[in-house]
Amino acid sequence: MAAALSFEQAPPISVPLRFLLTAPLFGIVFGVFLLWQGPELVETRGGFPALAATHLVTLGFMLQAMCGALLQVSPVSTGANVWRPRLVAWVAHTGISAGALALTAGLAAERLGWLRLAVPVLVASMAFYAVVVLAALLRTSARGATIAALRLAVGALAVTVALGAAAAGAFAWSWPLPVAQLAPVHAAWAVFGWGLTLVAGVSYLVVPMFQLTPAYPAAFSFWLPRVVIGAVIAWSVAHMTEAGAGVRSMLGLVLLACGAVFASVTLRLQRRRRRKLTDATFSFFRIAMISMLAAVAAGVVLPWAEGGLRVRIELVLGILLLIGFFVSVINGMLYRIVPFVLWLHLQKRMPIAPNMNQLVPGARASAQSRLHLAALACLACAPAWPPLIYPGGALFAASCAMLEWNLAQALRVCVRLSAAARGSAP
Amino acid sequence: MAGKVIDARDLLPPEPLELTLSALDDLGADDELVLLLYREPHPLYSILRDNGFCHRTESRADGTFEIRIRRAS
Repeated sequence: MAAALSFEQAPPISVPLRFLLTAPLFGIVFGVFLLWQGPELVETRGGFPALAATHLVTLGFMLQAMCGALLQVSPVSTGANVWRPRLVAWVAHTGISAGALALTAGLAAERLGWLRLAVPVLVASMAFYAVVVLAALLRTSARGATIAALRLAVGALAVTVALGAAAAGAFAWSWPLPVAQLAPVHAAWAVFGWGLTLVAGVSYLVVPMFQLTPAYPAAFSFWLPRVVIGAVIAWSVAHMTEAGAGVRSMLGLVLLACGAVFASVTLRLQRRRRRKLTDATFSFFRIAMISMLAAVAAGVVLPWAEGGLRVRIELVLGILLLIGFFVSVINGMLYRIVPFVLWLHLQKRMPIAPNMNQLVPGARASAQSRLHLAALACLACAPAWPPLIYPGGALFAASCAMLEWNLAQALRVCVRLSAAARGSAP
Repeated sequence: MAGKVIDARDLLPPEPLELTLSALDDLGADDELVLLLYREPHPLYSILRDNGFCHRTESRADGTFEIRIRRAS
């Protein structure tokens, strides 16, 4: 029976892996970019190099990994089979990789030609991905908090892409659009509508499963994605209509409160886990949730800060959200999703596949989590003392290189065992 | 009729699936296998369907899912 194991829902191994193994490479590029730009990057927040750095990590690392993980999680865990997964993966992976490189090159060098190439590539590939994946998620008969969150997240991804295209188009082709209002609205849809909703939906599934915690409370799981999307819509309307600063601040705090509640509930579940396993995934999730709480604290004091201090706090908030929360969560999930994908692949080829949890040695994954934490500490303090961007960038690049090495080693073990199984077949 | 219970609530994936598949090999025509988990094992359902088994899932108040598996008649 074990030899006959067949997951009809599992996509081909190449579908998720191309995304999951490319994401850390963009992390390395991001770290090197920080080293190249140096302290000036922190001191000129909002400039084109800072936008380039932001999109290296949000498109190259985060979007890349999230799109790949969703192509694996949707069919296996919710029965949402994606139409022609190889084609969708090829289009999305090529679009994100080429688009992220062209966009960041265009922003860093202030070259309109690169931007004019990047925008249609990113919009076409991401629109195709969002439509196909959303159709699969809407067709499945699965019910529950995860599937609802995934549907809302992919819908928010489509809105994020449209807003990003409008903001970039206003710059690249001088479209008569209000860039100053569009840019923060695009960021809110990306970070909260797409990012937080997706992380929450996948966490409902993987935190109890892999960290052996109790389930997320049912009412919380049901309401969180709906409140997040509602708050993002209200915040967007307030920004686009130039509502009063008080209203915008209040809605911004509602968004941050959603993140704080999610982080608090996850930390509480981690404390109540049934087996006291403290592996790299557990550590990455803990770093992520504490970073989210720290980001919320920065957001709470922000309305009272002025001038240069306000700019620095905004930067700390952004670093804590992107590097502290999202990169940490994704890093932790990669150590679960990649071995699971490889284990499924081996299970079809061998009578007894190796233990999934041994494909990436725990000590190496834990060492990488410490590198990541050191990088995060330096980068989060860089707004206060900009030279810290040097150790921060170097540590971040080293952490992503080690992540890539750890995942690639697991792939090598898988390839070797597959070849051995083929060789011993009668 | 014999019954076997696999309490996989405190096991890390993919151990619950491996234990279940191994137990299915020895499941007689009138036997029942009971799997206890804190989540619904969607991948397992399709494996059961494709390999001539049927199942019934019930949820308990403590969040446990009880999956009762038999050979399809």
